[in-house]
Amino acid sequence: MTDYGHDLQFGVFITPTNNPAQHAVDLAVVADRAGLDLATFQDHPYQPRFLDTWTLLSYVAARTERIRLSGNVINLPLRHPALLARSAASLDLLSGGRLELALGAGGFWDAIEAMGGGRLTPGESVEALEEGIGIIRQIWHTDQPGGERAGGVHVRGRHYTVDGAKRGPAPAHDIGIWVGALKPRILRMTGRVADGWLPSLGYVEGGPAGLDALNAHIDAGADAAGRSPRAIRRLLNIQGRFQPANGGLLQGPAAQWADELTEIALNHGTSGFILASDDAATIERYAHEVAPAVREAVALARGEAAPVSPR
Amino acid sequence: MDNNYGHPLRFGLSLRSSAPAGMAERVALAEDLGYDLVSVPDAGELDAWSVASWLAAGTGRIILSPLVSLGEHNPAVLGRAAASLDLLSGGRLELGLTLDSDSDSDAAALGEAIDVIRGIWEGEARAALRYDGEHYQLHGAAGGPRPAHRVPIVVQGADASMMHLTGQRADGWLGAEPDGNAIVDAAARAAGRDPREIRRVLEIEQSDVPSTAWAAQLLPLVIGKGVGDILLRSADPAVIRRFITEVVPALRQAADLALPGLSTAAPVRPAAALARRVAGIDYDSIPLTLAAIEPGDHDYATVHSTYMRGGSPGLVLRPHTAEQVTDAVAFARRHHEVPLGIRSGGHGISGRSTNRDGIVIDVSALDEIEVLDTERRLVRIGPGARWGEVAAALEPYDWAISSGDYGGVGVGGLATAGGIGFLGRAHGLTIDHLRAVELVLADGSRVRASASENPDLFWAVRGAGPSFGIATAFEFEAAAVPGVGWAELVFDASDTAGFLEKWGATLEATPRDTTSFITLGGARPGEPLLARFSAMVDSDDPETIISRLQPFADIAPMYQQSVQVLSYARALMPAQGEANGGSGEPHSRSGLLEHVTPEFARAAAGLLGSGASYFFQIRSTGGAASDIDPDATAYAHRSAQFSVAAMGASAERLDRGWAALEPAFAGLYLSFDTATGPDRVAAAFPPRTLERLRALKAQYDPTTLFRDNFAIRPATAPATASGSTETRAAR
Repeated sequence: MTDYGHDLQFGVFITPTNNPAQHAVDLAVVADRAGLDLATFQDHPYQPRFLDTWTLLSYVAARTERIRLSGNVINLPLRHPALLARSAASLDLLSGGRLELALGAGGFWDAIEAMGGGRLTPGESVEALEEGIGIIRQIWHTDQPGGERAGGVHVRGRHYTVDGAKRGPAPAHDIGIWVGALKPRILRMTGRVADGWLPSLGYVEGGPAGLDALNAHIDAGADAAGRSPRAIRRLLNIQGRFQPANGGLLQGPAAQWADELTEIALNHGTSGFILASDDAATIERYAHEVAPAVREAVALARGEAAPVSPR
Repeated sequence: MDNNYGHPLRFGLSLRSSAPAGMAERVALAEDLGYDLVSVPDAGELDAWSVASWLAAGTGRIILSPLVSLGEHNPAVLGRAAASLDLLSGGRLELGLTLDSDSDSDAAALGEAIDVIRGIWEGEARAALRYDGEHYQLHGAAGGPRPAHRVPIVVQGADASMMHLTGQRADGWLGAEPDGNAIVDAAARAAGRDPREIRRVLEIEQSDVPSTAWAAQLLPLVIGKGVGDILLRSADPAVIRRFITEVVPALRQAADLALPGLSTAAPVRPAAALARRVAGIDYDSIPLTLAAIEPGDHDYATVHSTYMRGGSPGLVLRPHTAEQVTDAVAFARRHHEVPLGIRSGGHGISGRSTNRDGIVIDVSALDEIEVLDTERRLVRIGPGARWGEVAAALEPYDWAISSGDYGGVGVGGLATAGGIGFLGRAHGLTIDHLRAVELVLADGSRVRASASENPDLFWAVRGAGPSFGIATAFEFEAAAVPGVGWAELVFDASDTAGFLEKWGATLEATPRDTTSFITLGGARPGEPLLARFSAMVDSDDPETIISRLQPFADIAPMYQQSVQVLSYARALMPAQGEANGGSGEPHSRSGLLEHVTPEFARAAAGLLGSGASYFFQIRSTGGAASDIDPDATAYAHRSAQFSVAAMGASAERLDRGWAALEPAFAGLYLSFDTATGPDRVAAAFPPRTLERLRALKAQYDPTTLFRDNFAIRPATAPATASGSTETRAAR
């Protein structure tokens, strides 16, 4: 039973199909107008039916005004961290500080290898991700504490070698680095170095209750690194369907969804709910009927003043 | 003309070292002022790719040219990213590639990256791409997506190795070396390319000199160095404006004086594309107004195959008007010896509509749907429209035209052969709703045929249309169909013969408002054979619908059922919107049946049991289709109650299994049969019908120009072809 006390965020997970090419763009605009907090897209660079996620994020940034954007999650094995850092900072500057960076260690190794990426064991991929996060943070870190311009980035890691790469640009805001993770080792790493955690509920054994054991690994990783477990935001990809009758978790009317998400937020620590949907009506309903109700119920339970619904 | 490469001048804005603040506004200004492109180098603070993608969303016309430093990019990922940006921007990408000044990668790495990027663009999704370079490898990557247009690759680099690479592989060169052209040109020639394939790009600093003087400074670069693109590096809106409104017009005028025709020159066709042309097709005589796609063109990948069939035509002509269909037919007449396919939606089984080294006339652009008369429900439809589009267009009127079982099928093919669809028993064949047709005949004349105009031709088109001309418009009388009952059931067909017989008997006992299709085949070893049952009831009354379907529920154990009340448009499976990607050659047989007799059912069960057919379908027909006099249309098998089709992986095995079914058939439906030859034509048309068709063929197409789909032999000896002699300027 945990509540890390973060403000609540609601987002969407939109399929980046390239046929029709504007599908994901149009739905991101719907989510933006509906007042959702996040529009996210999966990143599978080996999948020719999808748009390139980085290209899509950049394009969507110019078509939206308020919503924050993220890959869900970005495939690190096929995107070099130094390059990713510069791209992320650039897009954060262009979008007025609306980019977040959710990263994955990679999973489909046959496909990654087919694209010319290196095959790693699960353990190696976690190690590579941790190195990568370090490189990304260094590229972003342009000023020394004294205010002087820092020198080039030098990293001699097991997986990445960076020899004096130029720093910068510095992003417009403190970009959150979130990690898609399910196994103990990567969860501990998330607690050690990341700003957020982004798993998919469908892969969590035992459903929402199963989050507790996973959160405990993150908390342990944070403790060991001398960080507060509250430093790591807990997000969650969810799937659901609006229907008149209760047909199970997130299969029912909006009020049922709101009760269920409130329970997950208060008891299992989740503060970001990202709904997988490619349907404009569902996205709007989620924004207008579910998100405000969960915000209100959670604020009430936490003893906070009722939040003002974002317009 | 010395040292000019024949590219009309283009002008761009370079964002090199441009700060993010005001960038979008400057690019919008450039687009408004008429700049052709915006160049986004990686050299600044910001990542060029993110900037270019972001700018794409805020612009509508200007070409985007990110100049990417290869660095740590994975070229396969970059290839997909480039295709994505081209798709998102509606075909506005030109990809610039260069090397980091401080990186240790070299021109060889960039050359490999270009190979990988182009491999991704050209590869099929199902392909397993392999590339074994020194710097980059692919181990079975999927190909695609295909960009929206042929994306040019521009290389920036001033050392000899980069110039060599440009000459060998690039479409453009951004360099500053005075003698670079000689190296680039030599490398191009050595690689078998025409140096004119490579556009020369120059980036210039802004200048304070007066506009005419500035234009005079630039002129020698155009006429002496062959520069085609000039990129202005400036962040000052006043300079951006002055350059395009004052300097550019002066420069264009001077360049046109020095190099007459430069501003209207067409880009040279690459040597690699010319090499893919087919002998026997006179490409230079294609009328300039006629859209043409040949094997070296970007769009060829989307047109060479049909839905079910692979092909490699030498030329696909895409007329946009009936007039242009006449031009296309004239071109085909001058090439009587090469195969000719006529394509609407490309779903034909008997009509090939693709070929090897021949010509295809693709009428998909003639796709207008127009309601002519709401009282009479009269609708004019182009042959290139798809039936799903027709159904959607008629939905607001509560009308429908019976049209097969899939929304992706083109109007032209179905409306000239028959059209056995889900409203068939209720409303007849598709051709039974045809009231008039406009055609281009083999001699190029344009005629209208109806009950009162050219009635012989109107008779022939309704069943044997592909042999008589290319339809350019149809006029149909739609039926009032406010809603339909739509059922999809899955039955256990382990007792295959019993199931078929019961289904056939039940169907014949069901009122004609109900039409059902069943599809069997492809059972996995150890699993029961399933029958997919579809039925449409021409009624939106749930009680009527249920009463029609109830008798079918008992014919065999049922696994799944779905019954809905829908519009016809929603029931007809919509098209997927993808280009046809067939490969190989389908093998399909067709037969028309009066009743599903026990003998037939046993023979069909034998065919399915043998595994020779992976797709076996029986469609009910009859009803309203049987009300028509057999002599009223060239489709004459009016007494048939069922149309049977089977597809198999092996033609030989399929034919062997099919032979046992043959005795039951009375004729065939030509649209579902891939076999060719006089006996097939004789099975498609009864003797009296065929005799009349042959007489008309002698009248309308004596040289047999149209022979792609159940070719009918003219009754008299063919006259000599009198091909038109007009030619047009070379393309």
